[in-house]
Amino acid sequence: MADEGLAAHRREPIKSSVSNVAAHRRRKNAATVGKERRESLVRAKRLCRVGISGDTDVFLENDMMIDEEQSILEAQTSSAVEGLKSTVAYQGKGAMQKRVNALRELRRLLSRSEFPPVEASLKAGAIPILVQCLSFGSPDEQLLEAAWCLTNIAAGKPEETEALLPALPLLIAHLGERSSLSVSEQCAWALGNVAGEGEKLRNVLLSQGALLPLARMMLPNKGSTVRTAAWALSNLIKGPDPKAATELIRVDGLLDAIVRHLKKADDELTTEVAWVVVYLSALSNVATGMLVKTDVLQLLVERLATSNSLQLLIPVLRSLGNLVAGDPNTTHAVLVPGREITDHVIEVLVKCLNSENRVLKKEAAWVLSNIAAGSVEHKQLIYSSEAVPLLLRLLSTAPFDLRKEVAYVLGNLCVAPTEGDGKPNLICEHLVSLVGRGCLPGFIDLVRSADTEAARVGLQFMELVLRGMPHGEGPKLVEREDGIDAMERFQFHENEDLRNMANGLVDTYFGEDYGLDD
Amino acid sequence: MAMDVEEKEQLGFPYWKSVRRTFGPESPFFASGNVERELIAKQVALDLTEDEKNKLQNLVAKECGVFFCPIVGCGSRLTSLEDFEDHYNAQHTASCSICSRVYPTSRLLSIHVSEAHDSFFQAKVARGYAMYECLVEGCSLKFKSYKSRQQHLVDKHKFTTSFEFFKKAHSSKKQRQKLQRKQGTHKREEASCMEVENESIDGLVSAVSKLSTSDSSPSSVSFGRRHTRGLTFVPRAVQRDKRPDAT
Repeated sequence: MADEGLAAHRREPIKSSVSNVAAHRRRKNAATVGKERRESLVRAKRLCRVGISGDTDVFLENDMMIDEEQSILEAQTSSAVEGLKSTVAYQGKGAMQKRVNALRELRRLLSRSEFPPVEASLKAGAIPILVQCLSFGSPDEQLLEAAWCLTNIAAGKPEETEALLPALPLLIAHLGERSSLSVSEQCAWALGNVAGEGEKLRNVLLSQGALLPLARMMLPNKGSTVRTAAWALSNLIKGPDPKAATELIRVDGLLDAIVRHLKKADDELTTEVAWVVVYLSALSNVATGMLVKTDVLQLLVERLATSNSLQLLIPVLRSLGNLVAGDPNTTHAVLVPGREITDHVIEVLVKCLNSENRVLKKEAAWVLSNIAAGSVEHKQLIYSSEAVPLLLRLLSTAPFDLRKEVAYVLGNLCVAPTEGDGKPNLICEHLVSLVGRGCLPGFIDLVRSADTEAARVGLQFMELVLRGMPHGEGPKLVEREDGIDAMERFQFHENEDLRNMANGLVDTYFGEDYGLDD
Repeated sequence: MAMDVEEKEQLGFPYWKSVRRTFGPESPFFASGNVERELIAKQVALDLTEDEKNKLQNLVAKECGVFFCPIVGCGSRLTSLEDFEDHYNAQHTASCSICSRVYPTSRLLSIHVSEAHDSFFQAKVARGYAMYECLVEGCSLKFKSYKSRQQHLVDKHKFTTSFEFFKKAHSSKKQRQKLQRKQGTHKREEASCMEVENESIDGLVSAVSKLSTSDSSPSSVSFGRRHTRGLTFVPRAVQRDKRPDAT
């Protein structure tokens, strides 16, 4: 094994061969669909725009095409498809080269802007001809160009992506171990776009056996192919059916590869692998269980501690969050208070809470809230950590969605672990201290918000205060912070649940007898 | 009084419960993180400056000359040793030694060989055994006829009806003549196999010996059981696969 590593190192200069460099460039230049189509941003498809032979005419940064240009492009596309058809029919001398050239022309047209002329290509009948170009035994260049065309066609609208159906078995077949790396990578890319389209196509791909060959492509230590395969897989298993995720974790060698990549891979590969872990841990209990038994938690924490790449931190944090949320073993068996790893987890979560990024802050708070939902020792650990002062600050100053998560953390610190159905016990020490440090206004603010869940959380915390503060101080404190006011808003509120909650509290603690003992 | 209060609380209020909260991957809770993912991907795309692009291009031009695949009849354009290995693996190893069709996986190759060239296979089919395997790895169903397997692919695995595993390839005139020659003078299976293999090995030897990264060409070149250290450059793939034990 050590030798292999040495050998790989020595080969570095040669390693930047055309295919690696090109794939690297392609990767760096892949653009998603344009800003105007906002919903597409979440559709997780990637256009392939820059290629192998160093075409400099391909990449355009400013792609506002006027109508005239668009129709010219469409006309060119139709004629490119026609040209391609005739080369496939032609059997004579130099047929192969002619075919590759025709494919290349079509590919260029499909790579130029953020809105490739997909509709025009489909109308001209590109798919059947591209499928023919994918037949077994075709030269690599032909396979590559054809797969590339399909990749960009698949990055379009749903019905356009569906048009790729006839090509799918062949694209999957060319993922095989006997295919050249660039061909298998390009096919993976195309399939990734198809899978990113939606559940229906995902299911088709799964039934056609796409999972296993893509999984195998994740096993090598490095290379752009590994990264593309990981990205495609993350699209393939994202469900909502958990079957694919469970199947994936069971692939021989895959769990091992995940651990290896989380440990050693560069930022880009680790990012895609982390997304795979996100979906595995969100969807499959089997996967979560298996992951928790490896070093994955430790590795995730290390990445959170050392990395500054936002695109890496997001899926890594979320993976950690899913593992904590999805399996009680994570907090019971691995993140046990007293262990170093547990201290580190709190540290990195605080680091995320201190970051500038909204997503990191919110999801870190969520993870903390789940750890705080663990044992009494977990609550004590968080309570006495540097997290609390920070959380108290955020409760008053942060944007709304973050405040809600922070509220969950603080509330969980004050309530003992759930046992049975009865009223959960309070942890008075924590409650008194936190209220003493001024967290009540923040909760009452949540009660005032328009969000039902937030109001509920606020009311529940108020109940804790009313019930649990010693010497009957609760009601006075609540009154002082205008809590009664906040609750009375719900007196005739349309939401029955909130209405009952608020009225119940008011009746119980601020009834006729209130204030009489003063 | 106290009792009444207790009762009231027991009845109505949903007390704070310290529990873990999970979210599905497509939950709105994760939406902003998901959007970040694709936004960032797009940003990265615009990051490569002109300068960097030039540097990359120069790097490529300096290190790799262009050469052509030495395997007889191939001539594909290659740009590096790695490219050659890659290409060799793809085009010159998973090919049927009888009809030269190439497949992207060993499994598909082996299925093809059984179905197209094995008379024992055909004999079993004739006797009614289910011999045609489903092409999707992991499915493991078998069928009595090519057609029924095809139907299964369409029905169960959503292949399109136009997909054909075994297409009658149009062979070049040269290939057809070769095939006719073999059929005429030898018994089909064993001898033709041998002949093709010998031919391709000879071709390889002569071609690869021309490809060398050192100044002096080796005086003797051989494959098979004899060691290959005479060559200064042989792609790993060639060394690995060209052993006669692999029949």
